[in-house]
Amino acid sequence: MEGEGDLQLPSLFSFSVLLPERACGEREGMGPYPFGSGTATTGWAAADSAPQCSASEIDGLLAGAGYRVRSSDLLHVAHSLERLESAIGGAPDDHLAFAEAVHYNPSDLTAWVDSILSELSPSLPPPRPPPAAPVVETWPDPTCSPLPYRQHQTAVVASTRQREEEGSAIRLVHLLVSCADAVQRGDSGLAWNIIEEMRVVLTRVNTGVGIGKVAGYFVDALCWRIYSPCSSSSSSSVSVAGSAAEQEILYHHFYEVSPYLKFAHFMANQAILEAFDGYNRVHVIDFNLMHGLQWPALIQALALRAGGPPFLRLTGIGPPSPDGRDALREVGLRLAELARSVRVRFAFRGVAASRIDDVRPWMLQVVPGEAVAVNSVLQLHRLLGDPGDDAAAPIDSVLGWIVGLRPRIVTVVEQEADHNRPAFLDRFTEALFYYSTMFDSLETGRGAARHHHHQQQQAVAEVYLQREICNIVCCEGAARVERHEPLARWRARLGRASLRAVHLGSNAFKQASMLLTLFSGEGYCVEEVDGCLTLGWHNRPLISASAWRADDDVAPPPDIQLFNTSMASTTNNSITISGNDI
Amino acid sequence: MGVMILPLEEEEEEEDKKRRNTFSINDNVDLLVEILGRLDGRSLGVAACVCKLWSSVCRKDSVWEALCNRHVAGGGGGPGTRSVVAALGGYRRLYRLCVGPVLDRLAGGPGLAGWAATREEAAHLSLSLSLSLSLFSIDCYERLGGPRQRPASLLFLCKPVNVS
Repeated sequence: MEGEGDLQLPSLFSFSVLLPERACGEREGMGPYPFGSGTATTGWAAADSAPQCSASEIDGLLAGAGYRVRSSDLLHVAHSLERLESAIGGAPDDHLAFAEAVHYNPSDLTAWVDSILSELSPSLPPPRPPPAAPVVETWPDPTCSPLPYRQHQTAVVASTRQREEEGSAIRLVHLLVSCADAVQRGDSGLAWNIIEEMRVVLTRVNTGVGIGKVAGYFVDALCWRIYSPCSSSSSSSVSVAGSAAEQEILYHHFYEVSPYLKFAHFMANQAILEAFDGYNRVHVIDFNLMHGLQWPALIQALALRAGGPPFLRLTGIGPPSPDGRDALREVGLRLAELARSVRVRFAFRGVAASRIDDVRPWMLQVVPGEAVAVNSVLQLHRLLGDPGDDAAAPIDSVLGWIVGLRPRIVTVVEQEADHNRPAFLDRFTEALFYYSTMFDSLETGRGAARHHHHQQQQAVAEVYLQREICNIVCCEGAARVERHEPLARWRARLGRASLRAVHLGSNAFKQASMLLTLFSGEGYCVEEVDGCLTLGWHNRPLISASAWRADDDVAPPPDIQLFNTSMASTTNNSITISGNDI
Repeated sequence: MGVMILPLEEEEEEEDKKRRNTFSINDNVDLLVEILGRLDGRSLGVAACVCKLWSSVCRKDSVWEALCNRHVAGGGGGPGTRSVVAALGGYRRLYRLCVGPVLDRLAGGPGLAGWAATREEAAHLSLSLSLSLSLFSIDCYERLGGPRQRPASLLFLCKPVNVS
């Protein structure tokens, strides 16, 4: 119990706790009084007459200081002063703005404290247990801002519960970080204990929304890390990652529910459209076709292009389908049908590869004279390795052959986060705050969602994010593919590969802003950073879109690399589907 | 004789006058199209409930094309726009799925979207045509996926705006 409120509490406040013990007959053996002995001594001496211990006596010690309190009331006064302190601390400010000054006689301490209490609020919460001492840690402290709460009650009682939940939430975050630290040090015994404790705390918070939900996912991920670690072999991550078809469904739901992927697609299409200006044969290479949702908008925009549409070729790279169904071909057929209806000459080619670095440039069949666009949405980070081990990572060779294709534009969309740090604790903490913000942004849509269908979509979209969380937390080595890096590091890396940034332009910025005004929830923010656009939630950027082009003075690779068709290194099926024309 | 003819002529004149004064808009479909083409989306929907003729007029894509183009600064794009939009599903569908909800959203609520836009709004809205067409094309593409696929990419436009 510290500090006084805005009212002048009696200076004996700290003394009141001792009073009930001293109510009767201990005036002879006086111990030291906390407020010192100076001025009050004479008062006591004067009051220290016959020591009678009847309950209705006015307490002599306090009387010496000017307060008239009956001895029997002392306990009540002590408790009331505690409640007064908590009420003043927790009451909203308007309660303290009394319209007129009402004077109480503080010498009648019992009546005074009771009237102040009843004045403040008709129903006060029961006395709070002393709050746990705030834990001071060195980890960054944005816990205040992105922790999301949706409390619908407004009574003071509910605000107490809210304070308890906040306390639990802060405690959860603290426990998560300590557990991650224990895991990093290899102390799995301690880690397990902390996990048990976190499960207990999770029962006290609302795990349907907000920090409770995110914390639940991270606790699960930590459990998996400790008890079924992913080894370096990539096959063990299948149980967490799921099949490619599942991943497509999750991706589709994430696309529907949140604006991040739509934003990414629009920005990339805008850049590609501008880069294709003046060319009659264009070729787009998509590093992750999925359902091909990015391309209808580009096809339509090319159809409406001044001067007529070009001949569009699309090469879609995607994982091979295990069950014989050719997913890439189906997507290609749909896109071809759309292109046919708007009279855009279209050809599609699918390249099935489980990793981008399995793809060789000759498989893409780039034709000299056509404008090439390379489009990578959330793919390049999968090619990174551990930061210390950069030379072995495939990213540089892939960037090398991308540049070798002499593309007119390379569009790169990546998560704006640093989830590739060498130390586990750093990664974990970063991921915790990143995904808290991300989940928070998804949830504001939920508040307005009246459709059951939309809520289902939201739940599935969250599974998509949960898989990313698991990969970041549980997996190591080659199994960890979600190696997000911030835009600044991508700039440096792409610059080293002789790619120069292309400014996305104000038109793209306006389109992005317009797109966001159409989404419910007002927390989204678009920012421009040196020609690249980032989309974020409440000033935390979450996804970035940028465009690049090859330096003109880079020597093109020998044609034999581009057009050699005799090599067949890994499992690849190449299918060509033509629209109206080849 | 003149006296005998005169009342007849007067009667005929009066009947002529009556015939001239009884003018029905339903007799002139082109005029009807011109007038109804100046309504906003909601009023067009109401007008479509009046009678069969009005309903068929309100289903003409040209009426909706005029409506969509009105909300774009600088006209409705090149001459190819009409065929592209027709291929993707038509202006009426475009309005219903994209332009209408966008206008409602920008005007701050359903029922408030008038047809007269200020220049700033128009500049803002002019971008929405290309954006609307992009969204429209995605919706059309999703429908190509067959009946099993529930197109949901435009659902976010139907959600009420939560500005809390």
